[in-house]
Amino acid sequence: MTTLLEVRGLAKRFGSLRALDGVDLDVAEGSLTGLIGPNGAGKSTAFSCIAGADKPSAGSVRFRGREIAGMAYHRVAALGIGRTYQIVQTFAEMTVLEAVTTGALLRHPRLRDAIGSAEEVLEFVGLADKRHRLGRALTIADKKRLEVARALATEPALLLLDEVMAGLTPAECRDAVDLLRRVLARGITVLMVEHVMEVLMPIAEHVVVIAAGKTIFSGSAAEAVRDPRVVEAYLGSPLEHGEIAS
Amino acid sequence: MRPHLIALGAIVVLCAAAAFGLHDTVTLDLLFTLLLYAVLGQSWNWISGYAGNISFGHAIFFACGAYASALCVTHGLSPWLAFPAGALVAALLAVVTGFPTLALRGHYFSIATIAVAALVEVFVRTSPWLGGANGFELPIASGWAALQFSQKGPYVLLALALFAIVQLATMWLERSRLGYYLRALRANHAAAASVGIDERRWKLIAFAWSAVMASAAGVLYAQYTLFVDPPSTIALAISIDIALIGVVGGIGTLWGPAAGALVYVVLAKGVALQIGGTGKGYDLVIYGAIICIIAAWRPHGIVGTIVDALRRRRGTATATPA
Repeated sequence: MTTLLEVRGLAKRFGSLRALDGVDLDVAEGSLTGLIGPNGAGKSTAFSCIAGADKPSAGSVRFRGREIAGMAYHRVAALGIGRTYQIVQTFAEMTVLEAVTTGALLRHPRLRDAIGSAEEVLEFVGLADKRHRLGRALTIADKKRLEVARALATEPALLLLDEVMAGLTPAECRDAVDLLRRVLARGITVLMVEHVMEVLMPIAEHVVVIAAGKTIFSGSAAEAVRDPRVVEAYLGSPLEHGEIAS
Repeated sequence: MRPHLIALGAIVVLCAAAAFGLHDTVTLDLLFTLLLYAVLGQSWNWISGYAGNISFGHAIFFACGAYASALCVTHGLSPWLAFPAGALVAALLAVVTGFPTLALRGHYFSIATIAVAALVEVFVRTSPWLGGANGFELPIASGWAALQFSQKGPYVLLALALFAIVQLATMWLERSRLGYYLRALRANHAAAASVGIDERRWKLIAFAWSAVMASAAGVLYAQYTLFVDPPSTIALAISIDIALIGVVGGIGTLWGPAAGALVYVVLAKGVALQIGGTGKGYDLVIYGAIICIIAAWRPHGIVGTIVDALRRRRGTATATPA
């Protein structure tokens, strides 16, 4: 299997704070790779640096063999990396269809084609019957679905999902997992950040664990839970124990 | 789309009938001013309404057209040349102003527009070839080739044509990639970038077109008044009038600028005609009060409020953010 995304020694400093201090990860084409770690480990920062929303202080990010670290955010998207946000970022005053159409316009510059493509994506994610609602009038689960739809509409090769399951009910989580499987079946590679490991266990072929801004483990999900470094990162102190339970 | 076309058609028919049928110069003068301000308001609306970058220097683009017209006529050239020439200079000014500031967060763009407008005003005042502080008086001529007329009717027709073009362009904008991208950028620039939207590129395009529209209005203004000087074209007060028309009518809406211009011309100018002659400035008090009322209770403007009401009746949505 070829490597779609290759991250080496990714570092990000905010003043004297080292948010990332050597993240390595590989994402195989067509796979679902999970990026996990305790709160504050740097998962979202790593995401932002990969997607181009933040400029890394050091390290390399290669997408399809091409160096993209530090490239403008919109250019990374145009190269084929779509993303969702941990805190949902909707186009508040746009309807669901308009927001997804905005994403589709990247590959279909004519509005008519973009709307057609957006309709298909809405059908695919199961939001077609809510297409004329305003984005901000949706439930959390539907807002997250809308973000996935907007990213899918840009026809990405790699989809970065930042805690799409957070805040969902168990039933909504099952729907989301079902959607993920269908996304993978379309041949789209997925890298997803999850705080709660249980969500990832059944679907991720490969898991990368980061703690304190460093990659501490890379392997299968089953190995991850047995790895002493991972266990220590998650269960290291009684204070952090509360987090994994939540 | 269709109701908007019908509305525009009705306005064109009514205004054209007035231009041909009416001979009351006061009414025709108000109509010309109304159409011109509606164009200026729509021009402002492209960058400040749809794209969300508030311009406080829009008068300089208006001035580009007015001065292009004055220069053409005083140099023996056809005033029609002022349309492309003014548009080119206006678009260049927009790109120079917008390139470093349009993608910045905060109020840098608004401040830059004020600063550039102030610089341009000083430049014009100190440049003899631009008429300096005295400005230009355009030599009197007549006919379509000279773009001057002894009656006001043809001026109203020209302003009406420009208004129709600008409204059609804005209808196109709302159904185009550019329009979707501007609205997305205004709503959430980070999310917009995540779907591949280059903020600077698209906003520069919108700003340049906005400048071109204002410049065209400037050409008609110069041909109408036959007098161009800094206070009547570049002054900050004019930029603020343009911005207020956009805000009062409802930013980011197709008919907002026209509604704002109607309020401005009918109330501000109409009231000024009735009581302004006393020199006590009651007209400004009344116009100021209207702006305060709208800002306090209807921040989405006149058209924004109507759109919200329609949406509520259909039960689809809540208010649009200002």
